[in-house]
Amino acid sequence: MARELEVLAEGQGEYHRVDPDGFREWVRDHKQRAMVPKLMSAKEAVERFVQDGDYIVYECNYIQRGPAALIREIIRQGKKDLWVGAKFTWVDVALLVEAGCASKLDVGFFLFGPVVDRAVKEGRVKIYEYSNVVMTNRIKAGAMGLPFIPVRSFGGTDGFKYSGAKLIKDPYTGQPITIVPALNPDVALIHVHQADIYGNARVFGTGISDVESALASRKVIISTEEIVDTEEIRNNPGITAIPYYCVDAVVHLPFGAYPGEMAGRYASDVEHVVEVVGATMRGFVRQYLDKWVYSAQDHFEMLDKLVGWRKLQEMVQRATIKEGYLP
Amino acid sequence: MIQIHTAKGEKASYFNEREHQICLMARLIEDGKTYWVAGGGSPMASILLAKKLYAPNAVYVTEDGVLAPEPVLPFDPIMTMVSSRAGYRALQWGTMNSIGFHAQMGYMDYGILNTLQVDPYGNINSTLLGDYESGEFRRFGGPGGADSIASLCWRTILMTDHQKRKFVPRVDFISSPGFLDGSEGARERAGLPRGTGPYLVLTPWALFDYEDRYLRLIGISPFVTLEQVLAEMSFRPKMADQLLTLETPTEEELTLLRTEIDPRGQVTITGDIGRWIMRREDGSFGPADEVEAQGGDPNLPRSW
Repeated sequence: MARELEVLAEGQGEYHRVDPDGFREWVRDHKQRAMVPKLMSAKEAVERFVQDGDYIVYECNYIQRGPAALIREIIRQGKKDLWVGAKFTWVDVALLVEAGCASKLDVGFFLFGPVVDRAVKEGRVKIYEYSNVVMTNRIKAGAMGLPFIPVRSFGGTDGFKYSGAKLIKDPYTGQPITIVPALNPDVALIHVHQADIYGNARVFGTGISDVESALASRKVIISTEEIVDTEEIRNNPGITAIPYYCVDAVVHLPFGAYPGEMAGRYASDVEHVVEVVGATMRGFVRQYLDKWVYSAQDHFEMLDKLVGWRKLQEMVQRATIKEGYLP
Repeated sequence: MIQIHTAKGEKASYFNEREHQICLMARLIEDGKTYWVAGGGSPMASILLAKKLYAPNAVYVTEDGVLAPEPVLPFDPIMTMVSSRAGYRALQWGTMNSIGFHAQMGYMDYGILNTLQVDPYGNINSTLLGDYESGEFRRFGGPGGADSIASLCWRTILMTDHQKRKFVPRVDFISSPGFLDGSEGARERAGLPRGTGPYLVLTPWALFDYEDRYLRLIGISPFVTLEQVLAEMSFRPKMADQLLTLETPTEEELTLLRTEIDPRGQVTITGDIGRWIMRREDGSFGPADEVEAQGGDPNLPRSW
């Protein structure tokens, strides 16, 4: 006997399409089961796998192990209308908005400033409200192949009203419970310590939801500090964080998290971080992009021309903590 | 009844209001309990100080899944979470999902948060000041992990500044839930776990708990009057029958805070640290500029 589920309240926010069967079909039709080499340049990976209008996720950019070089490449290529899952993000949203790349934001946390403020007030950018944990829970649901996930947080907040959440009566306990839509992003950008050419990837240290994002996303671009042999992966399978068949592109990008830290390998460029935070807070993001992104053809030219060997060496030397960051 | 650790040793003669607040918070940390702390800032400085002096077995976790770290101090600017220094020698490196689920299952006793605004029911605003619907507002980042901390930990503690614009009858936006409309069972009706909610609010001037889900003043600092405390609130809190006097920092607390926990002054010197407070000849405390104008006590050693 069918009974209708009781919806007690619902948010009015638009949310990314929920379609677990569509996602399964995407996996069936597009994800490579065979071990095929996926090594390519950042330029090629972004050209092939990031389309205008895509929903993208990443995390900790410009802080630690963020996919900073991939995001700069997206900005160089001038991608449009991206919907950004801004969980545990920082200055990158301002960079993407100033560059005209982003038009929708699901917000957990990001560094607000005049650039995003103006874009929101002029209607160029729309914000939907969540929290960091609700966003990672949504991605978890996407990574489980489910349409939604119940959460014990978020209920009663004003964010709820501007999100895709619903409050329902739990058919098992009879108590009210918040449910949020699963998130299957179009693109995940993930920077890792080590990967082989097929995309088997290792991540050392803490993170937010990179592994879930890799599983939940239609297209996955891995950038890696180091390419390792598959034999090396097979010698220690317990530390493979992301399996090859989720991955669409592997990009070898040493210092790919610059100016953020890569735990165990290099410390952050503190001056650069302070500069970009200042630019975000004061609204000088255009100047920042001109200086650090548009002036170089790619990541390597930026490292050569603007950062330099001396700075990189100094960052490497300051990364004195190694425990936990080596296989 | 709230347990406050007794600070031993000589009282400091010179300190600022932020330092005072952090030392007070450290004395409120319960040993052997779990804390989910907001990254960086006063909450983290407080638990680090507490672990050194009062609650060595208190455990803290951060949003990025770091469980019980022994961080390398000081942090680099901004790198108060997810960095190798912040996560050093943890018992486990998990993820935001793992910590969120641990809290959802009831493993987190306390959460400690900062806020832009708080109302009498302990609702927290960290999203914007102004009116969301009309678009007339000044926006801040968003709840980050605060919504989950305030929803899922058994007890939520807020640290904020003592200002009229922070203590408001209604927050402009509920980013993270307190007792919502203050009615009994409001949190449960919104799907939040039973038996959770706001516990304390600590400012540099005053300590509050909740009586029937409404903010109640229970203590004030010795360098402010009750009138000053109430004048800097946009609503009237309930009052405890007897107000505690909140003890000022000791030399030992300040030395640890200044030399080990925050030697660069990222929390206690830069930004909004409130006023400097100074001891008078008679042992009472007042704002340093007033005390100095009254002649001060030139024989006193300064802590800084």
